[in-house]
Amino acid sequence: MLKHLYDTDCVTWSPQGKLFQVEYAMEAVKQGSICLGLKSNENVVLCSLKRQPSELAGYQEKQFKIDDHMAIAIAGLTADARVLCKYMRTECLEYKYTYESHHPVGRLVFKVAEKSQHKTQSGAKRPYGVGLLVAGIDPNGVHLFETCPSGNYYEYKCQAIGSRSQAARTYFESWFHLFEKSTLEQLILHGLSALKKAIMEDEELNEKNVEVGILGKNQKFIHLNAQELKEYIQKLETFNANTQIQQE
Amino acid sequence: MIFNSEISGQYEHTTSPVVTGGSVIALVYNGGVLVGTDTLCSYGSMAAFKNVQKIAQISQNTIYVSSGEFSDFQQVVKELAKIDRSALQYDDGVHPSPKDYGNYLARLSYKKRCKINPLYLQNVIAGFHNNDRYLALVDIYGTYLESKFITTGFASYFCKAIISNYWNENCSLDQAKQVIRECFKVLFCRDCRAHDVIQLAYVDAQGTHIEEPERVETKWDFNGFKQRANEKLHTQ
Repeated sequence: MLKHLYDTDCVTWSPQGKLFQVEYAMEAVKQGSICLGLKSNENVVLCSLKRQPSELAGYQEKQFKIDDHMAIAIAGLTADARVLCKYMRTECLEYKYTYESHHPVGRLVFKVAEKSQHKTQSGAKRPYGVGLLVAGIDPNGVHLFETCPSGNYYEYKCQAIGSRSQAARTYFESWFHLFEKSTLEQLILHGLSALKKAIMEDEELNEKNVEVGILGKNQKFIHLNAQELKEYIQKLETFNANTQIQQE
Repeated sequence: MIFNSEISGQYEHTTSPVVTGGSVIALVYNGGVLVGTDTLCSYGSMAAFKNVQKIAQISQNTIYVSSGEFSDFQQVVKELAKIDRSALQYDDGVHPSPKDYGNYLARLSYKKRCKINPLYLQNVIAGFHNNDRYLALVDIYGTYLESKFITTGFASYFCKAIISNYWNENCSLDQAKQVIRECFKVLFCRDCRAHDVIQLAYVDAQGTHIEEPERVETKWDFNGFKQRANEKLHTQ
């Protein structure tokens, strides 16, 4: 197929009904390092693998707090992610100023999706090159959403995006039936197990390159600190996914 | 009709109300919130509209009442209805709670106050949400105060003593109703812009209930009226 005839801008359809620019933007998401999210009835956990551009550099953060009850994990162009992060934070603040309550999660994801779609229907713009996993709690319950550069959004029980995310998704497919009733600790261990499936052979999880964020009905969004991360990564050795308990 | 403001091209600001509603009394009780107003809209000192419903139901579990300029009341009812309608667009089943309405109204009132063009109202929002009673006052300046009982207008002067003595926050609905009826009896006697027909409404776990208007008991056959003391004196 002569892609190059139809892929110059967002306002050109291909004969097969595709917008190639949007599809290319989704590729940018797949190139980002993996981040995943999973939820139970009470909690949502976000786990991500942080990349280090060089040995001299720090690790790129992948999770951002939007409000006490909401956080995102990003995969793709970090600069685009910052724009969306700022937008979401502003919307949450305005809502809080007007109503003194938390912005409903689904509604904010919808707003982000609308913004993203707008970029796919203009001659002079390009789509955002970042996918978000939005974790949030509101009166409707516990939520995990994924947004795409295309402007689509989906709600998930658990999801992984970024490079080698298929391995994590396969892990989820086997065990997600347990997540609803899992405790917070079990949820974190499941998340880290899934993350482990997605790293390369010569890589290993440690407290420097792993980021874990947790949200709960009675728990504002926080990151696990280095000490806690170390302990959880250690517990991974003896974690049995099926029984969800530590095995000796 | 051409108004002076149209000729000069300037906006005029609300400096005094024209058609006004009287006092509002709201009390929480065991299981809900009760609100009472009279059914009169005054045109200055004339009792112009005597059968007005001044209690608005703005959602399944929220009531809105106010005293002051009645056209502003009608406008606020429309503004609050807009919020719930926009929820339909998102289609996510999330509806504003009574507190959301209260805070929104506070922001709106404050904004208008800052432009020296206020909503000439003392607003009361009452609701029942998550097994919790909600009652708040938003005044003409945009001050927002949550409370267990609220009185506006002349009721603040005459009725607080009655409420203190005969009401507590865990009384029954009937007790609370009696307190409000007693308050409006006193108001009818002493407030020149009050009326003897009142309307009660309450919100509880089952939703909002707006009752039919009722006439308060009044007593005019005092001996002092029948046999005027002065007359007796002068005929002696």
